[in-house]
Amino acid sequence: MSEPHVSETKSATTSRPGSATEVATTVNGVAHRSWVANRTTLASFLRDGLTLTGTKVSCELQVCGVCSVLVDGQPVSSCTYLAADVDGRTVETVEGLASGERLHALQQAFVRNFALQCGFCTPGFLMMSKALLERNPDPTEDEVREYLDGNICRCTGYQPIVAAVLEAAAEMRGGRSA
Amino acid sequence: MLPEFTITRPSRIDEVIDVLSADVVPYAGGTELLLAMKMGLLVPTGLVDLKRVPGLREIAVSDTALLIGAGATHDDVARNELVRTSAPLLAEVETRVGNARVRAQGTVGGNLCFAEPRSDLLAVLAAIDASLVLRSVRGERTLSMSEFVLGPYWTDRADDELLVHVSIPMPCPAGAYLKLQITERPTVGVAAVRTSSGQCRLVVGSVVEVPLVITAESWEEIDPVAIAREVEPVSDIAGSSEYKKHVTEVYVRRVIGLAQGGGR
Repeated sequence: MSEPHVSETKSATTSRPGSATEVATTVNGVAHRSWVANRTTLASFLRDGLTLTGTKVSCELQVCGVCSVLVDGQPVSSCTYLAADVDGRTVETVEGLASGERLHALQQAFVRNFALQCGFCTPGFLMMSKALLERNPDPTEDEVREYLDGNICRCTGYQPIVAAVLEAAAEMRGGRSA
Repeated sequence: MLPEFTITRPSRIDEVIDVLSADVVPYAGGTELLLAMKMGLLVPTGLVDLKRVPGLREIAVSDTALLIGAGATHDDVARNELVRTSAPLLAEVETRVGNARVRAQGTVGGNLCFAEPRSDLLAVLAAIDASLVLRSVRGERTLSMSEFVLGPYWTDRADDELLVHVSIPMPCPAGAYLKLQITERPTVGVAAVRTSSGQCRLVVGSVVEVPLVITAESWEEIDPVAIAREVEPVSDIAGSSEYKKHVTEVYVRRVIGLAQGGGR
C-alpha cells in the first residue's frame, strides 16, 4: 500500500499508514481537497496549510477564544478540533467576513467603537459574534456578554466589544448590513 | 502536538462497539479527549468518530422516560423543545455549560464518560435520577449515576462499551441548580429537586470526587453547615479549600430556597 500524499501543511507530516484522512471542505467559499494527518488541528490546517493566518492560536485549551472559527455555522475552537472533521463541512474564518474591500457590519462596528487595540483576540470575537447573531439577531446586552464569555480580551475591558456587537446587530436587523 | 492515531468513521452503532478497546476509543466533540491527548494523559492508537452515526444524537420522549442520545451536544440539549418542556432544569443547566464553543462541540456522553468532577451534568443528572445505557458486543446494561461514576475521571464503563443514551424518568423532578463558575468549569455546583414521591434530594457537585447525594423528607432536615463540613475540596486557582467550603454552605442554603419556591 502506498503512503497517502499529504498536503503541504507543516504539521501534516505522517509516517504511519492510516494516520491521514482525505478531507474535502469548503473554506470561505473555496473548495479544498487534500490529505491531512489525523493529528492536524483545524487551526494548523487553516494557518499552515491554507495560509489563512487571521485565525490566531493562544491557550490551546479552548478557553481563550482567539482560534474561534465556524464549522457549518457552529462555533468551534480550531485549536482543539481535528482538521479531519471538516471533511464534507463548510468552514468560515475571519478572512471570509469582508466582501472585497467592504467590511462586514460587525467589522465596521468594531472599528467605530474602538472594540480592539492590539487586535489579537479580534478574529475570535468577530466569529463568535457572527455565530451569536445568526442564532439570535436581536440579543440583549446580557446575552451578548454571556455568549462571548469564553473569549478573552486583555486590551479593551470588553465594553466597546459588547457595544459594537449590539450596534452591528441593530444595523443588520435594519437590512443595512455589509 | 497530538500523537499519531487512526480515525474510523462507522455509520452504525454495532460497527462502533465491534472495534472499541482500551486503545481504540469513542470520539465525538473532542472537548475532553483531545485536551487529554495534547497533555499526554491519554494516548489512544485509534479514534472511533461517533459524529457520523445516525441516531446517537437523537432526543426522544416516551410516557416514562426522556432519552438523550450520548452524541447530543450540550447545545442540542439546551435548545431541544422536548427537553425544555419535559426536563426544564436540565435544559437550563445545559445553556450554561463551559463556553459557547464547548456547548456546540462537547457531548453529553463525553462529559459523563470523562467524569471530570467539576461537571454541571454529573450533579444535575444525579439529582433527577438519570440512568445510563451502555452497549457492547456482550449486550446492554443500565446503570444509575452512582453506579456509573466511581471516582474522579473514573467510571464503570468497560473499554469495549459505548454509552448509548441517558434516560431521565418522566415526570422529571423539578428543582433548581446553582453554581459558582469563574473558569470553564464550575467551582461549586449544587442541585435541589423534589422527586415525584415527594422526597427532597440535594446534590453537591464539583467540590467532591463524586456527586454527594443527600435525601430527606423535608428541606428543613438538610443542614448546609454540616454539608460544608463534610466536603473536602482541594485548593486551586478557583479558591482555597476553606473558601470553597464556605461557598458550598451558602449555595446549598440558596438552592434549597429556590427549590422551596418550586424551581424549574
